[in-house]
Amino acid sequence: MTEQVIVSSRTIDILAVLMLMMTIVLVGTSRLRTSIWAYAIRSFLLTWVSGLIAYFSGIHHIFIATGISLALKVIVIPGFLFYIVNKTKVKTEVESVINYTLSLLISCGLILIAYYSMQSIIKFENAFMGHCLPVSLAITLLGFFVMIIRKKAITQILGLLAMEDGLFFAALSTSYGMPLIVELGVFFDILVSVIIMGIYVYRIKETFDSIDTDSLRELKE
Amino acid sequence: MEILTLLIIPVITATACVFIKKHSISKYVSIAGSFIAFVYNIFLNYNVYTYHTLSGLNSFFYLDALSILSTQIVTLVGFAAALYSAGYMEAELHEGVFREKKLRWYYFLFHMFIFTMLLVCVSNNLGIMWVAIEATTLATTFLVGFYNKKPHQEAAWKYIIICTVGITLALFGVILTYHSAKGVIGEIGYALNWSELITVADKFEPHLIRLAFLFILIGYGTKAGLAPMHTWLPDAHSQAPSPISALFSGVLLNCSLYGIIRFHILTSKCIGPDYSGTLLMIFGLISVLVSVPFILIQKDYKRLLAFSSIEHIGIIALGFGFGGMYGVYGAGLHAFNHAVVKSLLFFCSGNLFLKYKTREIENIKGAIKTIPITAVISIIAIFAITGTPPFNIFVSEFMVLADGFSSGSVLSIVFSSLLVIGIVLIFIGFINNMFKMIFGSPTTDIPRGEVSKFTIAAMLFLLFFVLVVSIYVPPVLNEILHNIYDIVRNA
Repeated sequence: MTEQVIVSSRTIDILAVLMLMMTIVLVGTSRLRTSIWAYAIRSFLLTWVSGLIAYFSGIHHIFIATGISLALKVIVIPGFLFYIVNKTKVKTEVESVINYTLSLLISCGLILIAYYSMQSIIKFENAFMGHCLPVSLAITLLGFFVMIIRKKAITQILGLLAMEDGLFFAALSTSYGMPLIVELGVFFDILVSVIIMGIYVYRIKETFDSIDTDSLRELKE
Repeated sequence: MEILTLLIIPVITATACVFIKKHSISKYVSIAGSFIAFVYNIFLNYNVYTYHTLSGLNSFFYLDALSILSTQIVTLVGFAAALYSAGYMEAELHEGVFREKKLRWYYFLFHMFIFTMLLVCVSNNLGIMWVAIEATTLATTFLVGFYNKKPHQEAAWKYIIICTVGITLALFGVILTYHSAKGVIGEIGYALNWSELITVADKFEPHLIRLAFLFILIGYGTKAGLAPMHTWLPDAHSQAPSPISALFSGVLLNCSLYGIIRFHILTSKCIGPDYSGTLLMIFGLISVLVSVPFILIQKDYKRLLAFSSIEHIGIIALGFGFGGMYGVYGAGLHAFNHAVVKSLLFFCSGNLFLKYKTREIENIKGAIKTIPITAVISIIAIFAITGTPPFNIFVSEFMVLADGFSSGSVLSIVFSSLLVIGIVLIFIGFINNMFKMIFGSPTTDIPRGEVSKFTIAAMLFLLFFVLVVSIYVPPVLNEILHNIYDIVRNA
């Protein structure tokens, strides 16, 4: 391994940890704007990783995916979410059953689970991306966790986006991303789903006068 | 090229429907488009019948018996639903439930929905299949929330959130499969093509593929309505307009299950059929058992039909899980039978709703006097869906059960016995709840007569297939089902 690769491998490890921290911010904050910023920064870090990989592997399609990721995940989607927050005038998350301290503790547990489960399952042939798969699984699990414990519809969207970021990172770290056509399809799906969810957040706010998903309780047996 | 044509037909229809303002014209465009797709698919059917597989566009598309069965169901029920929509949506338009402008988008999304489902079935690349399955969710969210009142918004929100989370988990399964395939194939572009994967699946790393199948089963299982991930299903099915509910139940669930079966075959080839087969059996049985109490105590007839869909998806999963000749053949046949019968029942329920304006079973009486044709068809469909001989569902359920009991493993026999109990209880629940609405004397203020000719035409069209398959399995279908067994077994 050349000097340069080792340095960039270290850089990727640091970026991975920073991404994980941004996801923990999502778990630990009640301010919606902070959460969206955390998402934007994490997406930027992910794009950075993807750019590094593109540079060192020299595979063209990763450059394209990096560019789209930069435009979409760092600029368009966060911008759209800010727009929705401004429009619905909802600023903070409500205290849920699991309070913030406890949810941070549970997050630590989830990260440990991700680390140990992945270590036993995948032998890392690829030292370049050594510690990334556990981190990506941890980000996915934390996103899932946020969707379960938080009540505001926007936070649920952010949880979903965290899950998707985690999976992108997993794809990057295991196999340098998916084939280009699949990545394009996935980007398209993410964009459209966020837009549709945003529209529904707005509609729910209009009809229910709140975006607490707790108020969605009419349909049951 | 042939496959591309099949995909283009619904896209053209969808685009045309956006630009036509008058419903009196757009309904015919929509019917014509879906009819062409239906006929074209029959033509493709004979192609697959002769050549076994078709591929197109640099093997971007791939069509074998498993996919042609799914596309056949999509186009058949799609045509029936387009026909039904013409009558149903027009009736609601006249009542002023929504404005005419909105119908353009209804038809656009309707045909895009058909397009995405066809794409699920014909894509060779498992990643594109994932994209298409997610796209079915996106195309239908606004259809679930079409009426845009409180319950519809709630259903739509639950639908998009739960399904997207589920499908996101499935992406992890796809990534793991890609990772293990890259280790064997090496080349990037083709490493997700099913036709390539199936030839090298035995060289995959077993623990990776095991994990991948688990994520796929949970992920696509959410969309397929397998319990316990089914929670979005009764809400979405009951709040969507009836033609859309029919498509959901009859077709969408099959398409997601199709995704699971593809991975089931890969997993079987890699580590033998026991692991994935047993998982399919477990989730299938849970689905059947979960639906039983809700069908017995149900107050809302559309929710009742939705829970029945969970039951039948469970039976199909069980059939593939048992994995013998009769099990796989029966499961494929059951997918077809369930699609036609359940869509027919949703059409009946739509007619009931148009007439009585309520979804409560208690508030409906004497359908046989107010809407006699619908009532008679409903009686046939109810007997069919509960698996009463001589109807088609009896045949396929019997095959699945026969395979379970004859397979020799204790687990299969226990599962089959529980399945029999479930089916009997569901029969009681169905007869008890549904016949309340058909018989008795109606309250006087309900006008007599059917609402629309289109709805009756759509129902007779489906009824034809119910009755035909009750009598005998047409040779093309028979051949396709045998081929499906070959595909599953050769794994």
